[in-house]
Amino acid sequence: MRSRFPVLRSRRRYMAFELETEGPGGPIQPKDLMGEIASSQFSLFGDEGASRNRIKLIAFNGRYGLIRFSHVLIPQTRATLAAVHSIRGIRVAIHSKGISGTIKSATEKYLPRLSKLSAESDGRRIELKDVSGCIIRTQGVKVDLCPDDRDKSVGSDTRYLGLTSFDLSGGHEDADGTADGL
Amino acid sequence: MNFYECVNVYPEGSSSASRMALTARNLGYKGIIICNCDPSRIFMLPAAESVTGIEITVGAEVVASNVRALKSRIGVLRTRYPFLVVRGVTDETVHIASEDPNLDLLVYPCEVRRPLSIATAKAAKLNQVSIGFDLSPLIHLRGNSRARWLAAISRNLQLVRKFELSPIITAGAKTHLDLRSPRDLAALAEVAGFGPEEAEEALSRLGMLLAQNSKHWVGPGVELL
Repeated sequence: MRSRFPVLRSRRRYMAFELETEGPGGPIQPKDLMGEIASSQFSLFGDEGASRNRIKLIAFNGRYGLIRFSHVLIPQTRATLAAVHSIRGIRVAIHSKGISGTIKSATEKYLPRLSKLSAESDGRRIELKDVSGCIIRTQGVKVDLCPDDRDKSVGSDTRYLGLTSFDLSGGHEDADGTADGL
Repeated sequence: MNFYECVNVYPEGSSSASRMALTARNLGYKGIIICNCDPSRIFMLPAAESVTGIEITVGAEVVASNVRALKSRIGVLRTRYPFLVVRGVTDETVHIASEDPNLDLLVYPCEVRRPLSIATAKAAKLNQVSIGFDLSPLIHLRGNSRARWLAAISRNLQLVRKFELSPIITAGAKTHLDLRSPRDLAALAEVAGFGPEEAEEALSRLGMLLAQNSKHWVGPGVELL
């Protein structure tokens, strides 16, 4: 029931976060993300812990998002997000960007306005001495590569290799991560 | 604070050194320590130096087929690399590693059936070997296996506190998706049983060890200026 007096309402905090995913994988749906966060919270803190900290997803655009939680349970919320490692079989990592008291200030402080949400997939091949394969996704200087030899990523629970354009251009000083290396 | 993180990069992990450095810089680390078993085969190490704003240190994870080889390999690698790590996969490895003052970090596996022993704790204290806690099981495991891991780490922590050892927290990153920011790692450590100040100290200890190893020691407690 909504309290009549605002002073009696539980205090809230808002955390901005960034979701990093592996490969193309399509955008992660907010429903799937929230399901995984809730599962992580129940697994770490149980029903009683989850009842004291009602995490709610306020906004999510496929990469950046905002959640609401109780103001006294900041480390628990950080741990809940940090413990998420895959969503529907896609390896992900959630990095918290910052915490604020209102949606407006959290958005202004921590969420970039002009973020490039769409990653490019060009399917070009890379043939280097130690690694060869197809480029799955490029995002700025970051490159996800699908190796020809699938055993290359065994043991780290990932499907693709995480490289940068610096690696592909041979580490030259003029590697600016835009075109030369790729 | 100066936070560092131990990582395994390609070919022993699935991310290159430059990708790890880029992600670690964005997360707020001051540097990364590459702890591959074979540091000479690191993929495109010069490319990682293109990433500005982060220090990249090449250390080594010492592995050997038997105990005697491990001891001699620690001695050989000490002169080449500023940071040496051993993973305590067997009791013999733990025994040798805790008694070698040339070693910086012993990453102790948290298993219920193989808790940290008093002898190991005493030896690690005497030889100033830090005890590392890899928090990746807290992220990757679920349910019963994670509960057992949490029980084991809390038991090991009791011994660490009793003998005033130097614990170090690491995410055990083999890919850039395994990296967590220092604050997130501290929050995970608190779930595992560390206190808030203990967690912060454990996170910053890697940087302190690196700073100490970069000095020229001519003997125990004697520094060449």
